[in-house]
Amino acid sequence: MGEASTEELIVNLGPQHPSMHGVFRMVVHLDGEIVTKVEPKMGYLHRGIEKLAESRTYQQFIPYTDRLDYLASPCNNLAYVQTVEKLMELEIPERAEYLRVIFAELARIASHMVFISSAALDIAGWTTWGYPFRDRERILDLFEMSTGSRMTTNSMRIGGVQNDVPPEFWPALQSFLEDLPDMLEEYYGIYLGNEIAMGRMKHIGILSPETIKDLSLTGPVIRASGFDYDVRKAEPYGIYDRFDFKVPVLNGCDTYDRNMIRLYEIEESGKIIRQAMENIPDGPVMAKVPKLIKVPAGEVYHRVENPKGELGFYIVSDGTQKPVRIRIRTGTFTNLQSLNKVLIGNTVQDLIVIFASFDAVLGEVDK
Amino acid sequence: MENKELLRKRVDELAARVGGNVAEGSDNLVLTVNSQYIIETLEAAKTFDGIPCDFLHDLAGFDAKDHFEVVYQLRSWSGPQKLRIKAIVDRDNPVIDSATRVWGGANFWEREAYDMFGIVFKGHPNLKRIYLWDDFEGFPLRKDYVTEPAEVRNITRVRTDNE
Amino acid sequence: MDVAKEKELREADALANQNIIDKALNWGRGHSFWPVTFGLACCAIEMMSAGGPRFDLSRFGYEVFRASPRHSDVLIVAGTCTRKMAPLLRRIYDQMPEPKWVIAMGSCASGGGPFADSYAMNTGVDNVVPVDVYVPGCPPRPESLIFGLLQLQYKVNHPAKVRLMNHGK
Repeated sequence: MGEASTEELIVNLGPQHPSMHGVFRMVVHLDGEIVTKVEPKMGYLHRGIEKLAESRTYQQFIPYTDRLDYLASPCNNLAYVQTVEKLMELEIPERAEYLRVIFAELARIASHMVFISSAALDIAGWTTWGYPFRDRERILDLFEMSTGSRMTTNSMRIGGVQNDVPPEFWPALQSFLEDLPDMLEEYYGIYLGNEIAMGRMKHIGILSPETIKDLSLTGPVIRASGFDYDVRKAEPYGIYDRFDFKVPVLNGCDTYDRNMIRLYEIEESGKIIRQAMENIPDGPVMAKVPKLIKVPAGEVYHRVENPKGELGFYIVSDGTQKPVRIRIRTGTFTNLQSLNKVLIGNTVQDLIVIFASFDAVLGEVDK
Repeated sequence: MENKELLRKRVDELAARVGGNVAEGSDNLVLTVNSQYIIETLEAAKTFDGIPCDFLHDLAGFDAKDHFEVVYQLRSWSGPQKLRIKAIVDRDNPVIDSATRVWGGANFWEREAYDMFGIVFKGHPNLKRIYLWDDFEGFPLRKDYVTEPAEVRNITRVRTDNE
Repeated sequence: MDVAKEKELREADALANQNIIDKALNWGRGHSFWPVTFGLACCAIEMMSAGGPRFDLSRFGYEVFRASPRHSDVLIVAGTCTRKMAPLLRRIYDQMPEPKWVIAMGSCASGGGPFADSYAMNTGVDNVVPVDVYVPGCPPRPESLIFGLLQLQYKVNHPAKVRLMNHGK
């Protein structure tokens, strides 16, 4: 029997494709069922935020950061305002720092919940999709009562936060945190503990530590490959050094662990919020800053740990009200470089599952 | 801190070798070099003795009106050391060696810098526009780029075949 | 073709076909839109929320999100449609079978939103496809999207009344 040879087949996935998590596009070369080459193509959501930044004042740019990683906008706000504050050497009130941490960690939980939903959807888990979305609404309610908006909160300002939270925020947050362990158990039971999910995802899409170091990958993706690296610990920003939390690390390097790590991260975020809730002091939430901010000339680079990877801002200022250059280093954009390494040799149906485990958000990839 | 002093010492040694210029930035050391020495600089920084800056955190272009700069933000996987390396690139002939030989992760960032500034990275495996379409005219993040008026932008583009 | 002209012709067409069978069909269409999943940016998540457990779009019969444009009759442009995406949007619209309607969800789709002066953006998808309903917000709440769909239902069922409303009556 001679060896069967197949012609190379080129399949185009996206930009309008239900499993592409936005307008990402991949051109996949197939040999039979096996992926031989992947060409990621992006830019279908490129809005030119970096150029717009040059014509906006420092405060006007805050809403644009919301629209980078729109699943976790307070995290982006935090990165940007802290960068500007670092350049201005501005001290911000204690209460504002704690509120920032609470918002950022709530956003991390919300973002991971959407991840679990959409990753489950990619292996046809329609039922699973509903549960995290139901629970996420409670976080969005918390955002809404304190900032007025559900998703693009625009909650932080240079020098503090927009306003203090209303009194009814705390009991709602308390009850959410009480229910959080049950929610995680539910997600595990219905999705990750499920035999079908395990069969689909275990030992698939191996991401090796060498690839990670070479390609500068960051975020939960690398912590599922045995890297104990989290900016909140490695280079603490804000008041993260005051909290007692673990950095979850898994050693599977596969798609299943990249899913599982999110559950652990939700748990740790819950711990941070609980500590912040107990220790939050009274006081103002906004430092005294002028209406028109002029940032001293200079340049600064600052990075934070976002739900999907590290977000870095590089700001160059010439002392006027508008920045000369704002460079945004986003997590998923960098993480997607590894697609070519991870996908090759896998079958085409695993491609969708592996891609989902990178949790790409196109607002962040394309800027 | 001895860590900082050690880094300073290593960077000074490197700067003397490649004819660079070291400055104390607001947050970290800044090493400015000429574009032809960039690979040598990056390779040396990656393997600094005792204090390696082996994590390329970001690579970005910058338009300084009379010249371009390529800014490399270096961090470490194991320590707190930070370093920013700037490569001066000629504005009329913006060519620089690609860092993909040193860090594979520079791939997308260099494509982005090419897309936005028109900086050509010599030796890059696939230097094409990453965000904008292939027949887009101009390099938008250059300071002298003029955004087209809305009437022009509103005309729906015709897609090219291999896009 | 000029999109404004195309929209005018479509509306005139809807007005002309108003015999009793069309009315019955329109009643059915208006109560069971099949939207195509065309999530582009932030609004897509709110569109998913609208279909999710709390807002439950299926109460209105609109929950059948189809992955293929050939199965659907409503295009919800949820998010920022850049210049790179515009030809693809038009292509998806052209692939949809008649009758078809378009909802521009969010300020980016309606008029460019905060990115209107960017080099990579056009000022609204009404330059690309004829839009029937605009839903404001950045992103709009799921309730807004549901209201937008109900407005579209009204337009499908009563084209003459909507035409009068457009003329300020």
